[in-house]
Amino acid sequence: MTDSTILEVQDLKTYFFTRRGAVKAVDGIDFSLKKGECLCLVGESGCGKSVTVLSLLRLVAAPGRIVSGQVHYNNVDLVHCSEEKLRGIRGGDIAMIFQDAQSAFNPVLTIGDQIAEQMTIHGSIDRQAVKNKGIELLKEMNIPEPDRVWDSFPHQLSGGMKQRAMIAMSLSCDPKILIADEPTTAVDVTIKAQILDILHTLKEKRGMSLIFVTHDLGIVADIGDRAQVIYGGKSIEMASVSEIINNPGHPYTKGLIACLPDSSTDSERLASIPGTAPNPIDLPEGCPFHPRCAQVMDICRHVVPKQTIISETHTVNCHLFG
Amino acid sequence: MRKSWLQGYILKRLLYAVIIAWGIVTITFILIRIGPNSPADKYLANIAARGQDVAQVTAAIESRYGLDKPIIVQYGDYLMHLAQGDLGWSFSTSMPVIDLIGKHWIYSFQLIFLSSLLAAIIGILLGMYSAVKQYSKIDYIISTFSFAGISIPNFWLGVMLILLFSVKLGWFKVFYDTTLPLLSLENLKALVLPVFTLGTGMVAGYVRYTRSAMLDNLRKAFVTTARAKGLPERTVIGKHVFRNAMLPLVTIIMFDLGSIVFGGAYLTEIIFGIPGLGQISFNAVFANDYPVVIAITLIGTFLALLVNLITDIAYTYFDPRIRYE
Repeated sequence: MTDSTILEVQDLKTYFFTRRGAVKAVDGIDFSLKKGECLCLVGESGCGKSVTVLSLLRLVAAPGRIVSGQVHYNNVDLVHCSEEKLRGIRGGDIAMIFQDAQSAFNPVLTIGDQIAEQMTIHGSIDRQAVKNKGIELLKEMNIPEPDRVWDSFPHQLSGGMKQRAMIAMSLSCDPKILIADEPTTAVDVTIKAQILDILHTLKEKRGMSLIFVTHDLGIVADIGDRAQVIYGGKSIEMASVSEIINNPGHPYTKGLIACLPDSSTDSERLASIPGTAPNPIDLPEGCPFHPRCAQVMDICRHVVPKQTIISETHTVNCHLFG
Repeated sequence: MRKSWLQGYILKRLLYAVIIAWGIVTITFILIRIGPNSPADKYLANIAARGQDVAQVTAAIESRYGLDKPIIVQYGDYLMHLAQGDLGWSFSTSMPVIDLIGKHWIYSFQLIFLSSLLAAIIGILLGMYSAVKQYSKIDYIISTFSFAGISIPNFWLGVMLILLFSVKLGWFKVFYDTTLPLLSLENLKALVLPVFTLGTGMVAGYVRYTRSAMLDNLRKAFVTTARAKGLPERTVIGKHVFRNAMLPLVTIIMFDLGSIVFGGAYLTEIIFGIPGLGQISFNAVFANDYPVVIAITLIGTFLALLVNLITDIAYTYFDPRIRYE
């Protein structure tokens, strides 16, 4: 772990043990997060990106279980540390915001209660100070009438307000790392732009590190510093955002980039990658992408590709580069 | 948030309650008076033994209580008195109905209060535990017992308990001892079997409802949020999940209070010889003591309506999304 690395994930595997067998939702993810950067985890639905970030804080519920791997933060392995130590980090040093703010807030408690609760559990005792800080944060999120919102119940706020209140809540204990799990998927385009703007400002102003889970390469280009592409529960490519977009290595990443609408050409149909995401209960042997890969070789069907370094800021897991 | 609309709502509901109570009184009054029996019937054996004219004495008794007037006039008289808070005169016990109820309600109250309180506490705690440890051995054991508890009728359970603990083992008296002071350990001991009889079915119900209401909410996204905030598991379960599970539970508990509890208490009182409202109402039916029967039915009605109103108000506190117009 270098000085600038704040979080390091090694060989993370999270399986769900169901009657039909083990669902390998996350099957070997490695990445590191640098101080003050925005790392995007990119992949299609069902590739394991959400489970990955839930695993970082051991939030995966049964029948899911982290079967191997380490998550190093501040000399603590979050996968193996005590519950008590982990609770201090959850919501404290590492905070999380979720996809659907509608269901992520408890419907029967006020926004204020829910924000204050987090601050209290992490050691703020003075109720008035807690409230002042909470309302200040709501104001910082451009929420109109923050005093009223503090005393409101979630159902009284619009979706965009809830999502911003959720970000305010996550910031209430001044986290070092903010994990955002598709926070813009459930909101409309204008709110999406506002939220991305807020997150970007936070990163710049507070020097916070950001892990941003998304399937939207537009967002990656917008706020990401580096991107980690995930496929079939595995890391397949990691690079700076400009390299991912301008010089993708893995055939899957190339496919993703090709899917982006391009105004410079006249093609009427968007490109797509043939086939569907692999069934995590029955992952293909070898490289998980080989059944859909146009450049598939014999070795791809049997051997999981190792990480290959292309440049200082670019690694790829593909036999084409082996 | 201020709930200014709640006041108007309560007033409206109370008005409805009066109308419903009037309907119940009318139906009970008519049903009970179209029967062929007379409160004078119980004197008949004595009268005949003394060689008096049965028809003449019956007429005298009926005339004394106003039972010879046309039924519509009697009904009007009854409503007039009722409106002034007069529940009438109990023929069989020779005292005002209000005094009779004043003497006996406490026996019903102690039984219902203790059973409901204990059942709610035990049932909810077991149900929460069962839900949190879903599919564990203890969950299976609790579920099995609660299924049995729901299936056993309490009149049977009461008799079996008396057979085992009173007759065979001699731990408790067979009948409830009314000479005991109410606030004494002996009285509490005398209530063990009745409370157990009445409470078992309730505990079983609460366990099942709590378990399913908790399970419904345990998988919700806000639970993950609560954990991600760093809250300890007991706060996540006890505050976040339970507050959401409360809503269906309040409905069930209050509904039980109206039906199972009052109905069950009636039977339990009769089995154990507890002189509560169930017992006196039961005796009144056999003595053709109309005013007592109507009065106790009316009390039951008012309690049920009151409980419903409390439930509706409780909803607004447990779930802020609910409001009544």
